[in-house]
Amino acid sequence: MNCNKLILAIIASSLSSVSVSLERLSDSTLSNVQGQSGLTIEQSQLLNIDDLSYIDDGNSLNIQGLRISSQTDVNASSSQRYLLDIGADGALSIEATVNPTQLHIDAIRINNSVGSFGDLTLNFESVTNFSIKGMSTGGLEGSFATGISNADLIWQTNTHSMSFEDIAFNASIDSFTFEYDAIDNTKGFTRTGLAFGMDNFDFSFSTGALSLAGVSLGELSGDLALSANLQVFGGGRYGTQGLTLHSQVSILSDPTNYVKFTDDGNSLYMGNFSGSLNVTNLTLDVESGHLAMGFDQLDGAFNAGTILIGDSSRPIGSVELTFLFNDDDLNGRYNRFQLYPGIRQPDFNLMPTGIKTYAENFYSGMTPASEGLSLATQWNLANAEVAYIDDGRRVVFSGIESYGSANTTIDVRDQKIAIGISDLKGSYSIDGLKVGNDSAQLQGGAELLLALEVYQAMDFDIDGFTEITAGGVSGGGIRINGDYYFSNANIGLSVDENDNGIWATGVNYDIHLRDITFDVEGDGIQINRGEQWSTMDVANLRWGNKTDGRSLGRIKLERFERNSLLAISPGGAGEVCVGAAAVSAVTCGAAGGRWEDRGEQGMTVSLKAAFSDAGTTTDGSAQARNRFTWENNRSESSPGEYINDTGTQMIFDNYSTNDGLGTSDTNSYGLQANLNIDVFETKVLKKTDGVDANGIAGDLGEELIYDDSSRNSYTYIATPNEAQKTLRPLGFAVQGNVSFKELNIDSVQLKHPDVVAPQAVFYGVVMQNLNLTTNLTATPIQ
Amino acid sequence: MIKKIMIILCFMPTFYVFALEPLAEDELQKVLGQGGVYLSGDITINENGGPLNDASDASTPAIWQANCSGASTNKRCGARIAVNAGDGANSGWLVLDNIRGRFSFEGMTLKTRTINDGFSGDGVLFDNDVLEIGLPNKVSYGDVSYTLANSSKARPTDVGFNQTDILNVKVDGDVTMRGNLLLFPTGTP
Repeated sequence: MNCNKLILAIIASSLSSVSVSLERLSDSTLSNVQGQSGLTIEQSQLLNIDDLSYIDDGNSLNIQGLRISSQTDVNASSSQRYLLDIGADGALSIEATVNPTQLHIDAIRINNSVGSFGDLTLNFESVTNFSIKGMSTGGLEGSFATGISNADLIWQTNTHSMSFEDIAFNASIDSFTFEYDAIDNTKGFTRTGLAFGMDNFDFSFSTGALSLAGVSLGELSGDLALSANLQVFGGGRYGTQGLTLHSQVSILSDPTNYVKFTDDGNSLYMGNFSGSLNVTNLTLDVESGHLAMGFDQLDGAFNAGTILIGDSSRPIGSVELTFLFNDDDLNGRYNRFQLYPGIRQPDFNLMPTGIKTYAENFYSGMTPASEGLSLATQWNLANAEVAYIDDGRRVVFSGIESYGSANTTIDVRDQKIAIGISDLKGSYSIDGLKVGNDSAQLQGGAELLLALEVYQAMDFDIDGFTEITAGGVSGGGIRINGDYYFSNANIGLSVDENDNGIWATGVNYDIHLRDITFDVEGDGIQINRGEQWSTMDVANLRWGNKTDGRSLGRIKLERFERNSLLAISPGGAGEVCVGAAAVSAVTCGAAGGRWEDRGEQGMTVSLKAAFSDAGTTTDGSAQARNRFTWENNRSESSPGEYINDTGTQMIFDNYSTNDGLGTSDTNSYGLQANLNIDVFETKVLKKTDGVDANGIAGDLGEELIYDDSSRNSYTYIATPNEAQKTLRPLGFAVQGNVSFKELNIDSVQLKHPDVVAPQAVFYGVVMQNLNLTTNLTATPIQ
Repeated sequence: MIKKIMIILCFMPTFYVFALEPLAEDELQKVLGQGGVYLSGDITINENGGPLNDASDASTPAIWQANCSGASTNKRCGARIAVNAGDGANSGWLVLDNIRGRFSFEGMTLKTRTINDGFSGDGVLFDNDVLEIGLPNKVSYGDVSYTLANSSKARPTDVGFNQTDILNVKVDGDVTMRGNLLLFPTGTP
């Protein structure tokens, strides 16, 4: 391990340009300065290093063109001042003031590679105070505080840059320890390393703008307090050199902890954090073409007690997350990251034809010498549990597992951040729901996520290319263009813990997004979908398992939308009368309805889908339309393998929305769906007389009521009292409204395989003036 | 996505749909797999009219503008579906017009399950998964109404629009529904 060499090289290089010369003080003179103001060192520094290398098992990480200079003149020195003092307890106290300084790196390469990670510039000024003294048991201890201000961080690739502007960072550590007594046995032998301890490490940060070409994506700020222990050892995962780290971090429970993203004065806020984070065997090695990082295990918990979207007076609830990433030798699934300098382009010839042209265009102009970051990733999420708490009511999405791998490139282009992902292959699944508490019995019901187009399970192979520009609909914000292709995916629509249920298999899904904008507004998040066209081609919709379950046939869904909209805002349905039209509990009950007060928290999802009439996309690259096709009775190429377009098809062709006067009319209203979503007690009635599947007796129409708040046992009760009603099963309560002015279907067709063109069954279907309101409660059941 | 599934389910003429007697509880206990979703609530159509009735919107055609408060009987306040089952432009339209009303229910279930037992021995032979829609015991209809009509044009705003109402339907009351619908694929996919 050449860490010491690196440190010595830095010190030696620094000293070479430091123009400070001190005379030695005599003992008599020193005796006179005790209790005085200490020692002041003023330093000016212009540092230029052509190449600084860190060498690990013969491979080098090259930091080239390292410069520390004045911000205003890169050929002029920056200045610092140090005040040193010795306290009564023998601690050395240092106050370091760094006047406006620029730290710049021309390039970072591996083994002097052609490609580099790009160049970095940090402008900053700071004041740092720390004290340090020896420990009686050996090692060092002390305290630390720093404040960095007027800082900018600029990352530039291929002459284009993105920047974090006007950064402020303040940090303090109440006490830290630094010892050489950490012992590690995780590799089958004993090694000793450095041990760092930090008590109450409190830091806050803010950025004036995350900027692309002078336009802001938004602003970030946050405050976090934690305590941590770290152990650092020589020797990585590969070869004999490198670095290994273990850490145990505790996020201190503090209402002032928060992270905030602000766009045009409106914020997404997540606060009141607590939790923990533990990592075992986090390793860093320099390999022949890349930096290799990885860990054996990462586990933790994260609780966010307050989540606000825009409206600071209406929290949407709280979230709790626990997770475990670990290596799985049995199945060959690991958590590894390989960082390559430059842009590693994928093999276009191995890509599906549906995305190949888009991929080639995405990387056009890129060469082996292009700057950027390439990343090869593997992950294995062994388990995660996500709990959403709405007005104290808890729903847990349980048994979340995922594994896979991906190749990613990131670079900054002309006013864009370009992110290319290829061969994103893997799988995820959700076992089910637990309601009430974490120890409740696992239940079905993850199908409820389908309303948000989140599937219960998926095997995927994705190639996708995204360009992010700054600027939403107004002011700052984020704008996205992207092309994505899912190859031969399997999607679990409703599956159990044994992966049996309803599967869409052999899915090819081709998605194109243009001018998708993300803004935070005063009343929530708003996502405008400028233009979107896609084709989801499901080879088989299967009942049973995803391999050989019975198939309903092929489903093909083509979509073409312009100026659709998705908005998420805080607050659920509030007070609702279910089963009648009334505005108070009394009148609701009198009208035969059920009055429910679903609380202040929850969220509202508003969707506008503006289905366009068939036509050419704005960029002229495709003909697009809305069409639904169901095909069956196909020919087999081999047992169980069916050939598309050889069977009988039913087609709903060219459906679109408009403002009521036909397809030539405007399409500003579209199809609108507003969903107020809460977690709430729901009324579940027994559907037959007798004993149920769990051996609990009850009569038809009696209510299922849990025996206590643990919700582990229940009884059927004919007429529950008010206390018992609070022990009703929890579920999702959705107040929905769907409306459109006109939904038009050009024709409903049938196509026999022996005819060339489909034949119309209906020459048109025109649906108008619908305003459909629902009050539904959806409860997971066993 | 639920909408997509429902669309699929609505247009399956070759689907096998079984209305079965309720299973005995001991048979239910042999059902494999996890549960699904229990749904209760109500669905209301055009209680206070639809988006085309909005008189405050200057783009709303005059023929659609109406006061559609809950007690209104204006026949423009309901939803409208026009279907051309003829030969296109030369034929008229079959119309369901002025669709309004409320449906409320308790206890519709939606789940997938494996049937490999029961049904007088047929379950063993079947040995496959089904999508089970458990019917609610009671569905209440409140002021559910519609008009069946013939129309010369699809839209009331179309030039030459002329409509003849054939009959009006209004439904109030409760319907008892027991049993399950079991949906599963069959035949050549």
